[in-house]
Amino acid sequence: MDRKVGFIFLALFILFGVCLCGCTEKPAETPDAVTAPEATEAPVVNENPTYIVGIDGEYPPYSFINKNGEPEGFDVESVKWIADDMGFNVKIQAIAWDGIIPALQAGKIDMVYSGMTITDERKEVVNFSKAYWKVNQSVATHDDTGLTMEDFNAGKGKVGAQRGTTGGFWVEENLVNKSIITPDMLITYDNFPLVATDLQNKRIDFAIYDRPPMLDAIEGKPLHIIGEIDTGEEYGIAIRKTDTTLLETMNEGLDHLMASSKWDELKQKYEME
Amino acid sequence: MDQITFILDVMVPAFESGLLMTLALVAVTAPIGLLIGIGVACGRVYGGKGLSWLMQLYAIFFRGCPLLLLLFILYFGLPSIGIVFTPFVASVLGFIFCNSAYNSEYIRGSIISIKEGQLIAAKALGMTRNQAIINIVLPQALRRSIPGISNEFIYLIKYSSLAYMITVIELTGASKLIATKYFAYNETFFAVALVYLALVTITTFGASALEKKFAIPG
Repeated sequence: MDRKVGFIFLALFILFGVCLCGCTEKPAETPDAVTAPEATEAPVVNENPTYIVGIDGEYPPYSFINKNGEPEGFDVESVKWIADDMGFNVKIQAIAWDGIIPALQAGKIDMVYSGMTITDERKEVVNFSKAYWKVNQSVATHDDTGLTMEDFNAGKGKVGAQRGTTGGFWVEENLVNKSIITPDMLITYDNFPLVATDLQNKRIDFAIYDRPPMLDAIEGKPLHIIGEIDTGEEYGIAIRKTDTTLLETMNEGLDHLMASSKWDELKQKYEME
Repeated sequence: MDQITFILDVMVPAFESGLLMTLALVAVTAPIGLLIGIGVACGRVYGGKGLSWLMQLYAIFFRGCPLLLLLFILYFGLPSIGIVFTPFVASVLGFIFCNSAYNSEYIRGSIISIKEGQLIAAKALGMTRNQAIINIVLPQALRRSIPGISNEFIYLIKYSSLAYMITVIELTGASKLIATKYFAYNETFFAVALVYLALVTITTFGASALEKKFAIPG
């Protein structure tokens, strides 16, 4: 009887050990495996590197997962163009926005190209490329409320924002920290569609978000934009601090892209201006 | 900001309010979840055909529905038919459904384990069926389900973290807010894991003390 129990424990122990080995053998970053797992590694003649690009999967028109489950958008097409131009491969990966910088730091992705605002706080942990887009925050409310921008600035209502976005940070700095609203009047959500849903449900009175994706999120809903906040934010590509060559490559790629006809084509396609 | 001021000025106050919210969620859910669990289990074992079937449906539905989905329906879905819950109420409702469904199975298991003869003997002594269930079967069955129920209680402590998805700032929500704001993911999540571990450890000791206290001698 005892031997039987001992045997079971031993078996479990071995199983656990095997699982652990399985985990450690697989490095976090295996971009090569995607292209050709069976090719021998000998004839690598300066082959193009593959970079994993992290995006917010719900940030139209910059980056989103379309109906076929494929990544699409202004930023997604931009990075593909730059990749062709500068000679590297990309793999687009949608990641939860509030965990996207740790994913970058941990090497799960190599850059964030998804309408990320350049901020001083973020600059402390990652590098940013040159700015490629200017954007303002916009505030929306329900059609039934009749609330205005003055009401928003006076703190007359609950504000919803996506967690980890500059809109939420703005409210915290300018309304919460100045005691115009109490901390529990700023409500944060996992993604913006949830904010829009709750605004429609009238649990919150205002929603704040970058203007272009806001337009997309409120389309066809009984919501409208009541005003903008001129924050003068700029979007850049976030890259690990140690990856200085990739930063140079992306800066050069951005220069080429913005000088090309593709830039205007993209702006038109996604109705950016 | 150095580590110590970060812990004292940012982490501690945030965790404090988050912990209170987690405890509130658990404290409201657990007793109601247990009572409903007992009711559902009794209905399944002793109820007539209709009631038994209904209770089975309850258990199947709420054990089968992913909790996150249930919370989304309660919070984001119901307003479209005019029912608007506060985040706290919606979370507690979701947790109660889930908690009671699982509890009912633990309790049903221990009710079945009590020999049928006891019920017959109690009736022979002049008790009604309900008296026999309440005074003879349930006291024994509930003792036997303490390990299962405490298991579910531990699980409740951890799945209460899903409330942050519907904007309740409990322990996990509070830590996520700090983590995203200060980019201190490792420290924050490690610290919050320790808090959960402490909660679960306390529960484990409490449950085994309870088991000893209510052990049937002999």
